Order: sequence, then C-alpha cells, then structure tokens
Amino acid sequence: MTPERNRLREAFLLLASLWRLIRGQDQRGRKVRWMIGLLRPYRGRVALMFVAMLLATGAGLAPPYLAGQVVDAGIVAGDIGALDLIVAAFVVVAILYAGATYLQTYLVGWVGTRALQDLRERIFAHLQSMSIGFFTRRSTGVLISRMTNDIEALNQLVTSGVVTMFSSTLTLVGVVAIMLVLDLKLALVTFLTFPLLAVASVVFRIVSHGAYRATRERIAAVTAYLQETLSGVRVVRSFGQEPRHATAMTELNAANREANMKTVYLNASYFPAVELLAAVGTAVILLYGGVQAIDGAIQIGVIIAFVGYLQVFFDPIQQLSQLYTTYQQGMAALDKIFDLLDTEPDMVDAPDAIDPGTLRGEIEMEGVYFAYADDALERERRGKRVEWALRDIDLRVPPGQTLALVGATGAGKSTFAKLVARFYDPQLGRVSIDGHDLRGVAQQALRRQLGIVPQEGFLFSGSVRENIAFGRPEAPLEEIEATAAAVGATAFIAALPEGIETEIGERGVQLSAGQRQLVAFARALLAEPRILILDEATSNVDVRTEKTIERGLERLLAGRTAIVIAHRLSTIRRAGKIVVLEGGRIAEAGTHDELIEVGGPYSRLHGAWADSSAA
Amino acid sequence: MRTYRRLIGFLRPYRRQLWGSLVFAWAAMGMTVLIPWLIGRAVNAIESGARPDLLPLALAIAGAGLLRLGLTVVRRLVAGRVSLAVEFDLRQHFYAHLQRLELGFFDSQQTGQLMSRATVDLQSIRFFLGYGLIFITQNLLTIFLASLVMIAIEPWLALIALAPAPLIVYTASRYNRVSRPALQEVQQRLAELTAAAEESVSGIRIVKAFAREEHQLRRFRGTVSRVFDQSVYSIKLQAFFSPLIGLLPQLGIVLVLLIGGRQVIAGNLSLGDFTAFYIYLVMLAVPMRMLGMAMGMAQRAIASGNRLFEILDREPSIQSPPGAPPLPAGDGRVRLEGVTLRYDSATPALSGLDLEVEAGRTVALVGPSGAGKTSLVALIARLYDPSEGAVLVDGADVRSVEVGSLRSEIALVADDSFLFTASVAENIAYARPDASREEIEAAARRAQADEFIRDLPGGYEAMVGERGLTLSGGQRQRVAIARALLADPRILILDDATSSVDARTEAAIKAGLREAMAGRTTFIIAHRLSTVSLADEVVVMDAGRIVDRGGHEELLERCGFYAEIAEHGLADTVFLQRDLEARGEMARL
Repeated sequence: MTPERNRLREAFLLLASLWRLIRGQDQRGRKVRWMIGLLRPYRGRVALMFVAMLLATGAGLAPPYLAGQVVDAGIVAGDIGALDLIVAAFVVVAILYAGATYLQTYLVGWVGTRALQDLRERIFAHLQSMSIGFFTRRSTGVLISRMTNDIEALNQLVTSGVVTMFSSTLTLVGVVAIMLVLDLKLALVTFLTFPLLAVASVVFRIVSHGAYRATRERIAAVTAYLQETLSGVRVVRSFGQEPRHATAMTELNAANREANMKTVYLNASYFPAVELLAAVGTAVILLYGGVQAIDGAIQIGVIIAFVGYLQVFFDPIQQLSQLYTTYQQGMAALDKIFDLLDTEPDMVDAPDAIDPGTLRGEIEMEGVYFAYADDALERERRGKRVEWALRDIDLRVPPGQTLALVGATGAGKSTFAKLVARFYDPQLGRVSIDGHDLRGVAQQALRRQLGIVPQEGFLFSGSVRENIAFGRPEAPLEEIEATAAAVGATAFIAALPEGIETEIGERGVQLSAGQRQLVAFARALLAEPRILILDEATSNVDVRTEKTIERGLERLLAGRTAIVIAHRLSTIRRAGKIVVLEGGRIAEAGTHDELIEVGGPYSRLHGAWADSSAA
Repeated sequence: MRTYRRLIGFLRPYRRQLWGSLVFAWAAMGMTVLIPWLIGRAVNAIESGARPDLLPLALAIAGAGLLRLGLTVVRRLVAGRVSLAVEFDLRQHFYAHLQRLELGFFDSQQTGQLMSRATVDLQSIRFFLGYGLIFITQNLLTIFLASLVMIAIEPWLALIALAPAPLIVYTASRYNRVSRPALQEVQQRLAELTAAAEESVSGIRIVKAFAREEHQLRRFRGTVSRVFDQSVYSIKLQAFFSPLIGLLPQLGIVLVLLIGGRQVIAGNLSLGDFTAFYIYLVMLAVPMRMLGMAMGMAQRAIASGNRLFEILDREPSIQSPPGAPPLPAGDGRVRLEGVTLRYDSATPALSGLDLEVEAGRTVALVGPSGAGKTSLVALIARLYDPSEGAVLVDGADVRSVEVGSLRSEIALVADDSFLFTASVAENIAYARPDASREEIEAAARRAQADEFIRDLPGGYEAMVGERGLTLSGGQRQRVAIARALLADPRILILDDATSSVDARTEAAIKAGLREAMAGRTTFIIAHRLSTVSLADEVVVMDAGRIVDRGGHEELLERCGFYAEIAEHGLADTVFLQRDLEARGEMARL
C-alpha cells in the first residue's frame, strides 16, 4: 500500500499548499474567519448551498461511470433491459445535475452578493462615524475604492473562488476515488501523468501571476495617461504639444503590448502541454488497460469510463491553479478593507455625553491650542517644531453676536470655525458652548443646531427641494419655498425646468457656483440653526448674485450667534466684533470703529483696501 | 454589417499571420478530431483481442497529441501576437485621432465617456478580433470535422446525435443576449453606487455639519439594494441558462447510448465506433457552447465598434489648411472682426464683437461671469473657431496659418492650472522641453514660485500632478505662470491666473509679470482691482459684447456698469486671502 499512499499524498499536494496559504500570512486566518462570520445571518442558505454543491459534484461524476456500465452491463452482455435501465439512470443523473447546479449557482450568487452588500454598508457606516480629520488624511478615491473595487475583488473570491475551491477539490477527490475503486492498477498507471501536471500547473500559476500583474499595471498606466491628457487637453492644445504626448502614449502602449506578450508565451506553453498530457494519458489507459482487458483482468467499459474521467480530470486542476490569482486579489482587498475597519473612530461621544437642549449660542474658547498633526503635543515636548494652527485663543462670543474673523491665509480663521463645529478637538484648552465643554456634548445634538455655509457650496444629487431640506427633510414645502425666497433664490429656481423639483448634480442640471451657494444658504437657514458659520461663503459668487445674497444674509444673521469669515468690508463692518488673527494668535479684537482708532493690523488692512480701490 | 466589415479592416495588415494561424488551428483541430476516432479503433482492437494493434494505436494517439501540441503552440503565438498588434493599432489610432480633434469636441464629451471608449469598447473589439474570430472558426471547424467523421461512421446515428446541436448554439447565444443587458445594468447601478459613495465622502463635512449621518446611511442602503436586486436578477439568469446549456448535450449522448447501444448489440455498429461517438459528443459540448458565446462577443464588438467609429468618423474641425504658412513675424497685434461664437446653445457666447489691440499692449478684460471673456481669449489661440467673423494675429487670419506655429507664439494661463504628472521642472519647461535649468529657475523666480519649489521634497525634481504631490491652487497657478513665461510667447493670456494666490504673493508676482509683459501683447482676465492695475487699458464686457473700453479712471467716471463692477466685484479684495493651503484643505473636507 505504501506506493499507493505516496501517490495519494501527491494528489493532495496542491490542496494542502492552498490550505497553508489560507491559514498562514499576517492574520489572514482571522480575516477569513471574520469573512465567514458575515455569512452567519444566512446560515440556512449556506447549508443548502453546500448540499447543492455536493449533489452537483456527485452528479457530475456519474456519467463516465454510467457510460462504462452501458458498455459492460448493457452492450457487451447484450442485455437491452439493463441498457435502458442505465440510460434511464443517466437521464436522472443529468437532470439532477442541472437542478443542483441551478440551486448552487443561485445560492452562491445570492449569499455572496448579500454578504458583500452587508460589508459595503458596514464600511459606509464606519466611514460616517469617522472624524473630519480622518477624511483630510485619506484621499477620496482610496476610500471610495474600499466600497467599490475592493468589494468587487472579494466578490470574485467569494463567488467563483469558493465554488472552484469546493467543487474542483471534490471533483478531483471523487475522480481519484472512483478510478481507484474501478481498477487500482489502471488508476495508478493513469496517475503517472499527475505529478507532471501538478508541477506544471504550480509553476504556471506562479509565473503567470507575476505576468498578469504586470499586464494590469501596464494597462493602468495607459489608462492613467489617457485620463491625464484628456483632463489637461486645454493645456496640451494651447501649448501645441500634441506630438510629444502621442510619442509618450506610443511608448506606454508598446510596453503594454510587451507585457501582454509574456502572458501569450505562458499560455501558449501551458495549455497545449495540458492537452498533450491528456492525450498521453489516454494512450496509456488504452495500452495498459487494453492489455488487461484482452487478458480478461478488467472489463472494456472500465477503459471507456477511464477515458471519460480523464476528460473530467484536467478541468478542476486548471481551475484550481487559477484560484491562486483570485485568492491573492481577494486577500489584498480584504487587507485593505480591514485596514479601514480596524481604524477606530477617533471622535466618539463619551458615554456620559449630554444633550444640551436648545442652545443660546454663547461660544467660549479658553487657552485653546490646536495643530492638525495629532502628535503635536508630543513633538513640542521633544523640542521639535510644531505648526500650531491656533495658539492661546481666549475669546467669548455672547449669544446673538456676529463675530467676523479677519486675517491672512493660514492665519487660522477656518480652523477657528472648525473647532466651534467640533470637527476637531483642541490639543490644549477647551471650547465650550453655553458653558458645556464640547468634548462632553453629543456631537449630533450639537451639530443639529449649527448652520454651516462653506466656501464651495457642496450639494448632493437630488432635487433642489431635497437639498434645501437636507437638514430637516420633514419640512413642509411652503416652508422650503419661503426659505428659498428669504435668501433670494426664488428667481433662479423658478427658471429651472422643473422648478424646485429639478434634479441637480451629475445626472441633472448643473448649477453655477453662485446658484449652488444660494441653495447652501437656504439649506443652512431652513435648519433653524442657533449658531451660524459662514466660511468665505460668498467668495465664489459673482457680483449680481452677491447682492442678492447680502440681502438674505441680514435675515440669516438676525437673532443668532454667527461666525463670519468674509472678505467684503461691508459684511465685516457690520459685525458686532471683529477678531484679527495672525499666525494662529488673536492680534486684536473689537468693533470696526474701535480697531480703526487703535491703528493696529486691522486699520492697516483697511488702509491697504483703500489704497487698492484707489489704484 | 458595415461596422463589422470595418472592424475586420483592422486585421488587414496581418492577413498573412492570420491565415497562417488559421491553418495551424485547422490542423490542430484535425488532430483533436482524430484522437476519438483512434480511441474507437483501439476499443475495437481490445474487443477483438488484437493485442499487436494496441501499441501502434496508443503511439498514434500520443503522436497526434504531440503534433497538436506543436500546432497549438504556434497557433497561440501567432494569434496572440496579431491580437495584441490589433489592440496596439486601435489604441494608437484612437489616441492620435483624439489629439487631432478640436477642443470644442472635448467640451461636449465627458472624460468618463471617452475613457470608456478607450478601455471597455476597445477591449471588446480586441477580444473579438483577436480571439473571437479564431474561436468561431475553430469551433465551427471542430463541429464540422467531428460531424463529418460521425456521418462517415454512421450517418443517421450522427444526425440523431447532432440534433440538439443547433438548440445548444441557440440557447448559448440567447443567454448571451439576455445576460449582457442585465450585466450592463449591474455595472450601471455599481456606477451609481460609486457616485453615491463619492458624494458622501466629498460631502462629509456637510453631512457632519447637519448631523445627517443616519440619513446618508439610509440613502446608501437604497443604492446598495438596487445593486443587489439587479445582481440577483443576473444571477438568476445564469443559474437558469448555464445548467440548461450543460443539459442539452446530454440529450445527444442519451440518444447515442440508447440507440447506438441497441445497434451494437444488434451487430450493426462496432463497439469502437460507438465509443468514438460517445467521446465526440462529450468533446463537442464545449465548442457548441463557445460558439454561442463567441456570437455574443461579435454582437458586443459591433456595438462597441459603432461607438468607437462615432468618434473616429468625426472630422477635426480645427485643422490647418494643407501647406498653410507659419504665422508671419510680428509683435503680436490682435484684431477681432465682427466675431460671433456659438457653442451648442442658442445664445451666442460672443456676438458681433470688434476689437483691435496694438502689439505690446496689456488689456484687462472685465465683466461678470458669462460675459464672454474666456471665449474671447480662446479664439485668439484658435482653440475654437468663430461662428462668424475673423480673428487676425499680426495681420494673418488664424485659420489660414499653421496652427502649431500660432499656438507656439501664444501662452495661456487658466484659472484651474492643470499640471502633468511630472517633475516641477518638466512642467515649467512644458512648452520648451530643451530649456536649461537656469532658464527654468529664472521663470519660476519671476512667477514667485522658486521659493516654495525649493521647499518641496526634491525641489525642482519633485513629482507633481494627479499622481504626484498635491500643490495648493496658488502654487499650481504660479507654476503655470512660470510655464507660460518660459514659453516666451508673442501673446500672453492670463485667464484669472492669480485667483488662488493670496494678496501678498500676488503683489510680488505683479513685479515679475510687469517685467514679462514688456514687449508682448497681454490679455488679463481678472476679478481683482490690483491685477487690473497692470493693464494699459480695460475692456468691459457683458453678454458677449464690449460695453466700453478705456483707462480705469476714465471708465470709472464714464461707464456706470464698470463703476458698479469695480465697487462690488473688485474693490475690497484685500480680505480675499484665500491661500492655496486653505483652499486645498477645503477641497479635501
């Protein structure tokens, strides 16, 4: 039995190495187990899926044996009754196979897709729970890719990978077992070709993995270059540099061809070789089995069954060898997804976070230091340079006051506003509203009472109405329209093809920057905020629109605390308090008249304004 | 059919290789069909106990296998090479054509659409031309040869056995037809999902600001279930069709087993022939299915071909006439005569506009957005052609001169300063790749870019652009200005070129610009009074027409419209200190 056992061991070599791959390597076991955990809610279907796979594989194995039986029990024995019976069995098996395959395909697809949609939602929810700081550190494209490309790569692994793994392995084991049972010696002789095939497949798999990766990289380079020259087509044209780009593109295109040629070489050597092995195997079966049959040691049907099984034999091996690439890609995607899911949300509400109720809108900053680098304090302690975006800010804004922030770029105006919205926590000091330290306030409860109009009026796809009602989707239409009227947006909305119900965004009507800003104003106003933050909200708006907005602004500012970052002197002049920031510090604070009188930085800026308008 | 013939046209340069590969494919298929017949002979030999016949037959099978190996290797190499060459040609052709098309074409096309032509459509055409055609002939040949052998052995059994064949091909191609749109719809919904994901990440600041995380999650769930529903529909199709396509060939096998078996028992058919029949039918299941698939492939390639030809057939509207002379020498005098420009919409961007600018003058174009300022300067560089009227540079109609010579004398800096993925130095030297490092640095100094470039990791060699370092808007604009200055053009166009530069830096750039403008004609589109002050005169525009032109002071007094713009749009920009860092940060939030 020893030599046979050795052959058997060789037969399982491939599977064992695959299994090691799955178990080994940087916690992949944990990740795979976690993936399997995603299937838990669909246990019933998963169980049924495996039953279907088992049935399908079993039924798929029967035909060559039955064909052999047709010959032995039917034809050679001259028994028409037996012949009909076996053919009937053949029909039953074929139908069973079709039915089980239907069930298997459907269930694998359903369960895999369902589980991955769940994962998608989980990633999305996780992203939503991350702080703003997280999003500034990661590129949008990468985050989106976690929910799209990486999920698709996993989909490949879950649907085709699992099926291949399970049914190919089972088929292989089944074929080997049946052949061994049918005729031990003939089986072992047939298996002689097996090690060769296994080695060839493993080598092919490893080499082609690198080659295919190279082709993907090359085509990605071609695509990226194309994308870039399309985005920059204006620059290309205006400098008349088309020939240079054409040359560069030719090089990339040729590199892509070379990389693909390698895969052609590989495929041209592997697949024909496998076919040759099949032919040699057939010849061996006929020669050795033929002699045995002539000697009466085996029946002729066995030979026919063997020839049939040989055809079934090579498919699963080729499929298993392709599994490696799918597995690699799926695992790479899983690693990336885990990397994201393992990142803990950094601004979670404290368990005892309070809901402050309706805010009066008193803002206070006490000894606030803030830097965008998380390790700022640590660096300072080690004597390294730290770029503080805000330092030593002490300020109180009474309820209902409008505070204007003035200063050069990078002076910390936007950062100030972000701390009030608690997009970040200060490293030192505290920011409080109505006397509550923001760190102890539930974020949602706070932000629901804030209205923010950023520089770029970001709108979501959907109708104008939905966008205005973003903060309060339940608001009645009359109120939405009244709000639009208050900011002076009625005229342009009425001119849209479907009025307030017009779809905007990528798939709808494109609004101008000024129109978007008007909608953003209306959105902020409808939310009935207690504190309003306008961050250079009118800088992208042309003269005419701005006039309209200014009228709406008065309405917007009335009766609520506001922080305004603006460049219009008219807006700044009206503010109850003006704070001039310089390098993250408060350089001076006071009303317009006070500051002009003092003759500090503000009066100098104001003087520069006067100069420039006289220029 | 026309599209089909045109697609085939791409194969013409490779006719010889293609025929060669077909010959090899046919020979290889001949071997494949020979093997079951040999198996049949071997079975007969075994049944009749003809032991000496076995070895030659086994050797013949192995020999046929070996021969097939050689033939297939050559076939795959030749066909693979042709397929890749066709792909290469297609892409070259497409790219070269895009380079020739006028800018107006790109305004009307979404980049994503063009990208999908260049990737998805090109791919399906290449698969069809490279593999599909060979698949089809190869599979047809296999079926044909095997049928021939079977008919030779036992005609009517062959007919019975092959009866389900058309059904298989039909079902497979029908599956391909219904599953395609279903899969495309899955892709479409995935694209929607990507857009939804992108929107919620880009707009995260708004989501957080309005505390709408729950709402966004609900919306996303809706998008996700749309993907799920469609995926399940497409899975159902697959689950229905693919077992069916597997079941149909079994029908032929059952008939052969039942009827052929009786024949053997009756002594009308040898066991070997029976075995050969059985193996042929097992073997043919694959080519029949493939034939259906390849037919679907052909349909897809034709659809893709139509989309591709749509672009390839578009004649570039801006071309130099054959043998056009280069732009005549001159100092950059610009004249627009009765120019009207219509993009796609009915309202013209420019209507009946006349403007003459003497060489060496600096003109500021001022007006509300949509007044036609950017359109006007684009006409000078012949990025568009006027619908009516003419544009003359140094006395020559821009349509009459070689367009490359015109553009090399004009440098344009736009407000969104596009940089290529390359080093800063290469970007500055974009128009003159042969420029020396000193020249590059001098241009950067003038544009106030030298200092920050030196602070970049790698300095002038730092990679920037989409796949490089992210520069702030102001930094990008300064690199773009340096790029324009280095081009040493006759005409310099600054289209809101300093909008993202903060006031202090702008003041410094102004000195460099003033120097650079000397001896060139310059057009400045600006929203800041400080920039306007660089100009010798101001042209006030509104709704595609020139309202007035003259000096700043003069216009303030004379032109009410200008006074209004100056007061509201230009005046207090001292506080407009959006620096690039702040802007870039905003964009990321």
